Amino acid sequence: MSRYITRLRMRRAYKWNGRPVSKDRKLKRQYYESMSISVEGKTEDVTVSLGQYILIEGDDDDNPFVAQLLKLYTDDSGKKKTAVVQWFVRMCEVPQNKRKLLGRDPHPQEIFFYQDRSCDNEVDGETILGAVQIEYVPVEDPFPKGKSKGILFVKLLWDTKSFRALNPELMQPPQSSKSPPPSSHGTQTRALPTPDLSVMKRAMSGILTRGSMSTGKMSSSEAESLHSASKLSAAKALSAKRRSRAVSGPHVRKKLDLCSPSKNMTRDDVLGEILDEHTEKTLTSKLNTSPTGRISISIRLTRLNLNEEECVSPLSSHSPDKPRLTAYDKDDATRARTPSRRKDALREPALAALAEEEHEYSPVQTAATPCSKRKSAQLESSRIRKQLNLLGNTVDLQSDGEDGDDDDCFVPAKIDLQSSSDEEEEAKIDSEDELIVKKRRGSGTSRSTEKTRVSARTPRKTPSKKTAPATPRTPRHATPSIPSRSAPAKKPGNVLEEARVSCQKLQETTVLLVDELDLLWTRKQNVMYNLFDWPTRRNARLVVLTIANTMDLPERIMINRVASRLGLTRMSFQPYTFKQLQQIITSRLNRVKAFEEDALQLVSRKVAALSGDARRCLDICRRATEICEHSGSQKNSSGLVGMSHVMEALDEMFSSSYIAAIRCASVQEQLFLRAVIAEFRRLGLEEATFQQVFVQHQALCRVEGLQPVNVSEGLTVCQRLGSCRLLLLEGSRLDLFLRIRLNVSQDDVLFALKAD
Amino acid sequence: VLCHRLVYLHVFIMHCQSNAQKLLRERLCHQKLPDRPVGLDSQYKHLLELLRRTAVHGESNSILIVDPRGSGKTMVRSIKRCTPLLMTRDKIALKEITRQLHLENVVGDKVFGSFAENLAFLLEALKKGDKSSSRPVLFVLDEFDLFAHHKNQTLLYNLLDVSQSAQTPVAVVGLTCRLDVLELLEKRVKSRFSHRQIHLFSSLSFSQYVDVVRAQLSLPPDFPDPKFSDEWNHSKLCEEKSVEEILKRHFNASKDFCALHSLLFLAVSRVSVSRSTLREADLLEASRLISADSKANVLHGENLETDFYYRHDFSISSL
Repeated sequence: MSRYITRLRMRRAYKWNGRPVSKDRKLKRQYYESMSISVEGKTEDVTVSLGQYILIEGDDDDNPFVAQLLKLYTDDSGKKKTAVVQWFVRMCEVPQNKRKLLGRDPHPQEIFFYQDRSCDNEVDGETILGAVQIEYVPVEDPFPKGKSKGILFVKLLWDTKSFRALNPELMQPPQSSKSPPPSSHGTQTRALPTPDLSVMKRAMSGILTRGSMSTGKMSSSEAESLHSASKLSAAKALSAKRRSRAVSGPHVRKKLDLCSPSKNMTRDDVLGEILDEHTEKTLTSKLNTSPTGRISISIRLTRLNLNEEECVSPLSSHSPDKPRLTAYDKDDATRARTPSRRKDALREPALAALAEEEHEYSPVQTAATPCSKRKSAQLESSRIRKQLNLLGNTVDLQSDGEDGDDDDCFVPAKIDLQSSSDEEEEAKIDSEDELIVKKRRGSGTSRSTEKTRVSARTPRKTPSKKTAPATPRTPRHATPSIPSRSAPAKKPGNVLEEARVSCQKLQETTVLLVDELDLLWTRKQNVMYNLFDWPTRRNARLVVLTIANTMDLPERIMINRVASRLGLTRMSFQPYTFKQLQQIITSRLNRVKAFEEDALQLVSRKVAALSGDARRCLDICRRATEICEHSGSQKNSSGLVGMSHVMEALDEMFSSSYIAAIRCASVQEQLFLRAVIAEFRRLGLEEATFQQVFVQHQALCRVEGLQPVNVSEGLTVCQRLGSCRLLLLEGSRLDLFLRIRLNVSQDDVLFALKAD
Repeated sequence: VLCHRLVYLHVFIMHCQSNAQKLLRERLCHQKLPDRPVGLDSQYKHLLELLRRTAVHGESNSILIVDPRGSGKTMVRSIKRCTPLLMTRDKIALKEITRQLHLENVVGDKVFGSFAENLAFLLEALKKGDKSSSRPVLFVLDEFDLFAHHKNQTLLYNLLDVSQSAQTPVAVVGLTCRLDVLELLEKRVKSRFSHRQIHLFSSLSFSQYVDVVRAQLSLPPDFPDPKFSDEWNHSKLCEEKSVEEILKRHFNASKDFCALHSLLFLAVSRVSVSRSTLREADLLEASRLISADSKANVLHGENLETDFYYRHDFSISSL
């Protein structure tokens, strides 16, 4: 085995072994079984073939990516070699914050089966470094000792959220030939000859231990098994074809019908078909009833590949009567393996996706506050809408850089994204969209969850940058993370390019969340322009989410070229209703019984009526608990925060300080205010000059039996009231002609003065 | 010998008297504040409680102290000095920032880049901490309303944001005299502010006011010469009718202690060796000086001045 460490910038030459095993005319692809890699300076070539475990060049030379080779094909020109792989991850590829989920120290040679449907599993064939040996270790067994360093062990499965026990059958290479035949238990019920033990063994222990595998040998052994049970396999082939027909798109079916030899069916065929129908039905019903079932379905389908390998794949090379069929079947079956099955369940994609949404979010509910749930639900629904729109619009599809795929594959793949784990939800939107999220004040929780979302899914591959526009003082300071003004056209491209390079393996989508968008306003609006221009670029894989608290921000401040780049999706958030506020408080209380029910309702109703600000609501509650804490020592109350405490807190927060200020003002200040009102009444205006008021003031002083103040004192009093903003004053340079206005209503002033 | 003793006594009295004058002047002029604010006990307690919560429980808080000029905001600053809370590890950065911000008030756009860098650094430092491990930080923003006039209210936004999120416990105390300061805040900043306000309106009665005057003028018990201080402290100055009238007048004009201090300062300055105690006349004279109409004074002076200038001009032109 060629050790990857020796790969030091060596020139490698790639060459197909043998003739293409099949051809997809529609996709213009030719499929191969193996490829040989000749390394400069080495005599023997390394051959990698389907099912083998391979190393793929990554950014870390010591730890190249590990994968299992599933398919090898070349495109029309024959130049570009592409490999479809099943990824494995090393511990160092698991996000830092998730590593402790393993619960133990990883074995240095341990890798994990990577289950993430959003992950792009097509790689350039010329990034393959060579083969590697992987050994499956059952979960309870210890890691074998004394083995070569080159062997990697796989024990667990990593599904981007948790480590799970790996079903060894998942490790079997899903055969690229036929669509899945009936399940293994189906075979048993029909008392078929059990799968060839040697084949089983080979499949279990990993086929690839034999450095190279000659296709001829393989097919000959399989041909034998084909001949031994030719009829049944024929039935299986038929039923498999039926299944693939069910899952593939309409035009595919048409072609299949053309070349289907199903005219003369034997009794066994019919039986097999009925049985197949049965299993399919159960599968479908299972799919429809439980959305979670989907994951298990995909597992089951791959499990079938054991049989495929045994009796179906030989058809591809050794059944002269159906050469065409296999070609189509093979491709469609494999391509549709996981995603297309979903189609059954998603006849009404929107409904299904929504239902799924509900399900997906239910476990999160407990952790997240209601508002974050609501927010994400809205995000989701808008996305579904968007995707439904996309489906009817091929131009959009093209622009997403998905040109290679045909539509029927594209559709379920799209919807598939919806069902992925909620944490990664946002990362998996394939289309680029920008949303302006209208933010209601006080939605701090939702903000924080989103932040964590961005950071949670930031393994070393995802370059996620969060710009906090409020931190830099001007938008100009926000630009270091965003392209600088001087080279607006060039830089973002570079950033994206870097991002794409680093995402070479897992082509993850980047979500850029920009809070307080209105602060990014500049005169030329370059920052905003670039921000919204990025996602419109080809292959950007960027989602720009911006948040602002102005309802008509695009209309008000954006110039046309910026506004036109902005996506159509705009989400506005209404202020919280009292019920939601109540829910927020209860979720924050976390089932601690601290508030009386009525008190909670009072707070939430009061805040909802005023602003709907969740932060304010929580602040009031906090203040109320403090008040309760202080009074609690004196009274023998229940210890809960009651109505009285809440009322006190509310009074403290909402009472106007003006009246208290007037009441506590000195005598001359009060007299001056009285004089102001008297003068206003006399003039019939809401404005007077200091001179006029001063005359009134002196008169009032005499009435009150005080020594009349002189101008300087009068002006001092006036200025002091002005500094409290009880009066609105002009600049003091105007002296006597200083104009005075009241900043409080006259009634308030009179009320405050009368109460003395 | 007698003569010698007399001289000695005289020197001693002078010494005592100058000592007393110095002490009182310091008290009045250097704003040596009383230990506790007068008549504001509940507010004082509230604030201390809040700061205690930040210090002990690690809760972040923000509070605004609103009161008219000269009624005890500075007292808060004295509290700040007493509390060791301000001793943070990034104290220097903090100082730097505040210095820069004050600078920014004056210089405007000139400290641009460094401001952003500093703030970023400070935020970074604050965000690193969590509730349990890091020391609480107390920010006292004097003249809070001026911060609200900064562009985009960046500093307030960030400080209050830190106080809202579970990062390093932070207490932001704003001091202002404007009652409508909350209306100056942007919506996003306002929402982050906890809406706690302490109003320090002095609901001082006249008798309390007189007590304060008496307390301000009395010499402390540890004065070197007890006989002198006794004599000084037992003068019935405040009971005299005219003095009361003067004080009443000042009380009516404002309850502000700063104004009172300037009045008393003038009075105390008039004490000399020949008149070793503070007398009614001193206070009267001081009051007359303080409450004189400045414009009228100017006019009085101007008459002479303009007269002089006119003559001067005339003489020059006639030459």
